[in-house]
Amino acid sequence: MSERPVHELINELSQVLFELSNKVVENLLASLYALKNQDEEGARKIRMVDDEIDVAEVNLEERCLAFLALQQPVAKDLRTIVTIIKINDDLERIGDLAVHIIDRMPEISPEMLESFGFESMGMLAGDMVKKSIEAFVSKDRILANHVIALDEDVDVLHRSVFKKVTALMKEPDSDINQLIAALSMSRYIERMADHASRIANEVIFLVTGEIARHRGGFY
Amino acid sequence: MTVDARETSESAQLQKATRDIYLPPERKKITGGDTVHISAKEFSIYYGEFEAVKRVSADILSKYVTAIIGPSGCGKSTFLRAINRMNDLIPSCHTTGALLFDGDDVYGKFTDEVLLRKKVGMVFQKPNPFPKSIFDNIAYGPRLHGVNDKKKLMEIVERSLRKAAIWDEVCDRLDKNALGLSGGQQQRLCVARTLAVEPEVLLLDEPTSALDPKATAKIEDLIQELRGSYTIMIVTHNMQQASRVSDSTMFFYEGVLVEHASTAQLFTNPKDSMTEDYITGRFS
Repeated sequence: MSERPVHELINELSQVLFELSNKVVENLLASLYALKNQDEEGARKIRMVDDEIDVAEVNLEERCLAFLALQQPVAKDLRTIVTIIKINDDLERIGDLAVHIIDRMPEISPEMLESFGFESMGMLAGDMVKKSIEAFVSKDRILANHVIALDEDVDVLHRSVFKKVTALMKEPDSDINQLIAALSMSRYIERMADHASRIANEVIFLVTGEIARHRGGFY
Repeated sequence: MTVDARETSESAQLQKATRDIYLPPERKKITGGDTVHISAKEFSIYYGEFEAVKRVSADILSKYVTAIIGPSGCGKSTFLRAINRMNDLIPSCHTTGALLFDGDDVYGKFTDEVLLRKKVGMVFQKPNPFPKSIFDNIAYGPRLHGVNDKKKLMEIVERSLRKAAIWDEVCDRLDKNALGLSGGQQQRLCVARTLAVEPEVLLLDEPTSALDPKATAKIEDLIQELRGSYTIMIVTHNMQQASRVSDSTMFFYEGVLVEHASTAQLFTNPKDSMTEDYITGRFS
């Protein structure tokens, strides 16, 4: 089967998305590291990288729109470009959430951070993002389903944080501001996992042509 | 399950798929469009020994637009021309299987070809108006079928030209020679000429391949106007055109009907890898 320039272009756009995802995952992990070590310098770098992510996201979207207009793809080519546009959007949002975590950093003490186990929760979300992109690259529906299943693990952790926060709030000497910051942080990580799950759903669409979102269970 | 039983079940599934035409929201579902107008059953067309169309089974739904795509020489025009028996003009051409029009065998012993061609009109790749006036071009068919009343003919001419969206451009020069019109106008005139005998089916064989983009757009708009009133079948090499104008699409390759599905389905998620390769240009 011959590959035409149009298909090389699709591969190129997929490669750009892959590079963007690496940047996003690295920034996510950097935000967890900065949080653990209360690293202000690291936080500054994360904000700078997020600005680069924003520029790359707009750039990739513009290239995809130009591709749609000029090449008028159909079938798998069309699904690939639509998937790239959607994943691009999810990655940019994950990047923003990493910055939100950093923004909340000064409001929460290292002891409280430690007690909520945000690092392992964040690592789990980061792993989901990485795996969802792997599923995109290898067009692996099984791996995509695995990512969707992992989302429940993060949801469970988020619910336990919620319960813990509400219990602590009832104590007379509770620091409400810190607890709200902790709850927000948990929410940001949970949203990251949701975006990874969305990416996995887009991969299923790419592979099967069926929109699997909102169906419940595995596809 | 036996092979025959499996084939029957696959055929039933295919028929169901084409009957449940998935239409994008902007394209209206047609009332009465769930009846089968033309049906091919194990239908083959031969040029001498050569089997140009191979055991095609398909249902064409009434009043919808069906596109036929495929590489050159795949049998798509041969299949189209078989519907109003244009292939009869080729001495070595013969058929097997059945091709039904409104349930009647097109190739049956008692089929009246003239009546069939009245019901199944055809427009070709190159506009081919008669070297006569615009009026006479349109009135030619009705006259042939016995309409001679001038007032009645004038009504038919006006109605046909309006339906073909060319009335406003030619109403003040009906007595002028049709060959003086532009290519795009000539093609719409040919559509009007076909509509004048009140057909049920319109066969369009690459109707815009000789036209510029503006004239092409007008023909495509016209197809959308006529959709719902006539069963339309269009052979085209232009994939975007097939996806823009049709409700269902048939993909032919080497005489075989590889896939027949709703256009929205075929152009987003084709079931056959050969269709996928063809429409994405990966064909070797």
